[in-house]
Amino acid sequence: MNTRRAVTPKMFLTSISVVALGGFFGTIIRDVLMKLQPAANQSTWVSHIPWVLAAINLSGIYLATRLLVGPLRDNHFDNPMRLLLITGLLGGYTSYSAIFVTLSGIWHLSVPAAFLTFSCLFVLSLFSGWLGLKGAKQ
Amino acid sequence: MILLLVGVFGALGCVVRFLMEFAVRLRHPTQRPIGTVAANVIGTGIAGWATYKLTGTSDAHIHQVIVSGFCGGLTTASSAFAIPVILARTHHWKYSMVLLITTPVVGSICFVVGMSLAH
Repeated sequence: MNTRRAVTPKMFLTSISVVALGGFFGTIIRDVLMKLQPAANQSTWVSHIPWVLAAINLSGIYLATRLLVGPLRDNHFDNPMRLLLITGLLGGYTSYSAIFVTLSGIWHLSVPAAFLTFSCLFVLSLFSGWLGLKGAKQ
Repeated sequence: MILLLVGVFGALGCVVRFLMEFAVRLRHPTQRPIGTVAANVIGTGIAGWATYKLTGTSDAHIHQVIVSGFCGGLTTASSAFAIPVILARTHHWKYSMVLLITTPVVGSICFVVGMSLAH
């Protein structure tokens, strides 16, 4: 599908501002929620499991899928509402790099546990996306 | 104050991700999230470097601003999983699988490279 469209400087600046606004609040919400994660015990890998990050990412994936299939379905990539909610807010709210930062802590204690944790997060993320699809259809 | 800085750097990360996606779509009109995949991979690499380079430094806040703020904003789990799920729904199974597999594989390689550069 051809998505090429003329972009004026005003549209471009508006897009950047909207993404920045959503990203600012999304990141702050994530950072505040991450403080709910219990402190990790250095001797057991179970205490390193990122419960809060998992909850953040899973809820973000659910919402993004639901919005992209539902209300924002026909919106173009540079639509301001899509930029605010998907690229900015949910983009800042969820984090892909934080998964690897957490996994590196588990890896030092148990390599199989790191793979197990990643596998569980991966499957749950797909399930969350699938729930978003189902939710949008109803 | 630190929370504000985390938010500002998170916003910066989101803008960089948007610009990467924008630059890709400007040259190659596509619905495929190539720029987002690249942002996730690069952000994971930077997080790998920052996690090890900035751990134990006197200012833990710099670590928080870079890792949680900038890298957290640059990378996104919502689009990384939502887009492949939506592509699979429209029977683009092959591309969906490629996205789901390559992002974590290349991301983990970049994370290790980042760690290595920090040591």
